[in-house]
Amino acid sequence: MSIGVRGITKRFGSFVALDDVDLEIPDGQLVALLGPSGSGKTTLLRIVAGLEFADSGTITFDGADITRRSAGERRVGFVFQHYALFRHMTVFENIAFGLRVRPRSSRPREAQIRSKVGDLLQLIQLQNQAARYPSQLSGGQRQRVALARALAVEPSVLLLDEPFGALDAKVRLELRRWLRQLHDEVHVTSVFVTHDQEEALEVADRVAVMNEGRIEQIGAPGEVYDRPATSFVFNFLGNVNLFHGRIDNGTTYIHQTKTDHLVFVRPHSLEITRRSPDGVNHFRAVTKHINAAGPIVKVEAVTEWGATVQVEMSQERFRSLCLTKGEEVFVMPTQLTVFRSGERSPAANPLA
Amino acid sequence: MLDAVDFAGRRATAPAERSRSTSEPAAIRWLLIALAAAFLGVFLFLPLAAVFATAFGNGALAYLHSFSDPDTLSAIRLTVIAAAIAVPLNVVFGIAAAWVIGKFEFFGKSVLITLIDLPFSVSPVVAGLVFVLLFGLQGALGPWAIAHGIRIIFAVPGIVLVTIFVTFPFVARELLPTMEAQGNEEEEAALTLGASGWKTFWRVTLPNLKWALLYGVILCNARAMGEFGAVSVVSGHIRGLTDTMPLQIEILYNDYQFVPAFALATLLALLALLTLAAKTIVEWRTNR
Repeated sequence: MSIGVRGITKRFGSFVALDDVDLEIPDGQLVALLGPSGSGKTTLLRIVAGLEFADSGTITFDGADITRRSAGERRVGFVFQHYALFRHMTVFENIAFGLRVRPRSSRPREAQIRSKVGDLLQLIQLQNQAARYPSQLSGGQRQRVALARALAVEPSVLLLDEPFGALDAKVRLELRRWLRQLHDEVHVTSVFVTHDQEEALEVADRVAVMNEGRIEQIGAPGEVYDRPATSFVFNFLGNVNLFHGRIDNGTTYIHQTKTDHLVFVRPHSLEITRRSPDGVNHFRAVTKHINAAGPIVKVEAVTEWGATVQVEMSQERFRSLCLTKGEEVFVMPTQLTVFRSGERSPAANPLA
Repeated sequence: MLDAVDFAGRRATAPAERSRSTSEPAAIRWLLIALAAAFLGVFLFLPLAAVFATAFGNGALAYLHSFSDPDTLSAIRLTVIAAAIAVPLNVVFGIAAAWVIGKFEFFGKSVLITLIDLPFSVSPVVAGLVFVLLFGLQGALGPWAIAHGIRIIFAVPGIVLVTIFVTFPFVARELLPTMEAQGNEEEEAALTLGASGWKTFWRVTLPNLKWALLYGVILCNARAMGEFGAVSVVSGHIRGLTDTMPLQIEILYNDYQFVPAFALATLLALLALLTLAAKTIVEWRTNR
């Protein structure tokens, strides 16, 4: 089921949590709402779920206006950050809850409930834990039970609020791959909230980057990462080196003093060479710190004007350079994005 | 995936030994234990023993004979009636008040919390007098009630009213911390799963509260049956009609009928012991 968010505004007292937000989510997609805390992403999710109501604007499911409908009428599956499992019920009863509370006329028979819950227990690989209570499960298991409970009512959309936020790093990684896999099988339109850019880029079909109650950019993970629409998105998605500069006749010059243009360069778009690259924009720097653990080598260097830059390169490149700490090297940007100070969208996107 | 942690097992294997540096010499330990035991003995155990010793002072027959007095039986009946009305009403009021305060934000919330605590801070005698002033012959509502043939002061309704007033905070006070600690997430989850507000309350909110609720009911009942001051003011002491157990004990004692007075007192003492036992069981269950 497709979701339409049009002109949604929400205030809490004088604080504007959402400011005229528009968002279209096509049927069957998995979309991430990504942003720092306080950007309004959870509020937007709760408004879509019907747990919170907007001051103005409309929410549609498959084109039908459901702005005034209650959470129960919207048939959404909601997964909470802290699971919100019913602590006095077993895993089985937690999953069966949505079926048991249906009005008598539409309530499935006991045998149907049993087989449905059995299927879901198999899906979340917890068949042996049906009789356990939530307090006896690990965090990852609890979150999978919460997901099964939400799926039991065959929701029209699945909404997940920081679903992996309370888990440790390894379980997190495992569970988000599992969620991606699950979505490929079940195909229910899903929206999940996260502040972890890596998680959003890895799991989602499309990422909506939010900041201060607005959506800054929405697009496929590769699109928002490689072509950030605003300086905020550039900053928020991954590490970035910031330079002052100016544009002259289509050429970008990096400056050492403050100017009216900001130049953004990703660490992997900086190349280190030993010889001065003739005719190419470059500057000199001294390596300060090298982290060679993992597939990517991270080098921290200090420029000739005293600023610190982050450079990333492959292990092969690192070995062929024979780089050591405290060496003077040449650094040149291979790709950069320029924003005019105070403006949100890029001024130009030239190669140096 | 991580295996579930076996909490019971972990507790059993936790090291129980204390380090030497934080424990006191044996002499001081025993002195402190003896002091505590002596205090408990003098202030708790001896009075309790004295009640039972006096009640059975003339033998078990005399003890049982005390309960054949119709006035005593009527006092027991009245106490049970008052508690049977006051406790269920306060369960309903208490759940409603705790629900509103624990789950919602609204203007005047702190005033409401203070009002719930009011019966704790007002002397029971004053509480009784308030009802006399309200429903007495010269009271604000008294003449109206009497004109309609409703007797409140010096009658059973007055006793029930003051009992409700005095025991009002117990259930609400027990539920509030639990309600606040549990937050709204489970209710929100139930609502998104299609449960109505009523079903959410019965299937999610109430089961989560059951031990706190039971605890509140036990304390509320103990106080309802044991209340003396407030009931004494509105009762009018009409023998066989408006005397509750605590009032009847006082009457018997003032008539120098020590065995019947203490025999009746053993019932209240037993109620207290049962309450303590039930309270311990409930606490053990909630901490599990």
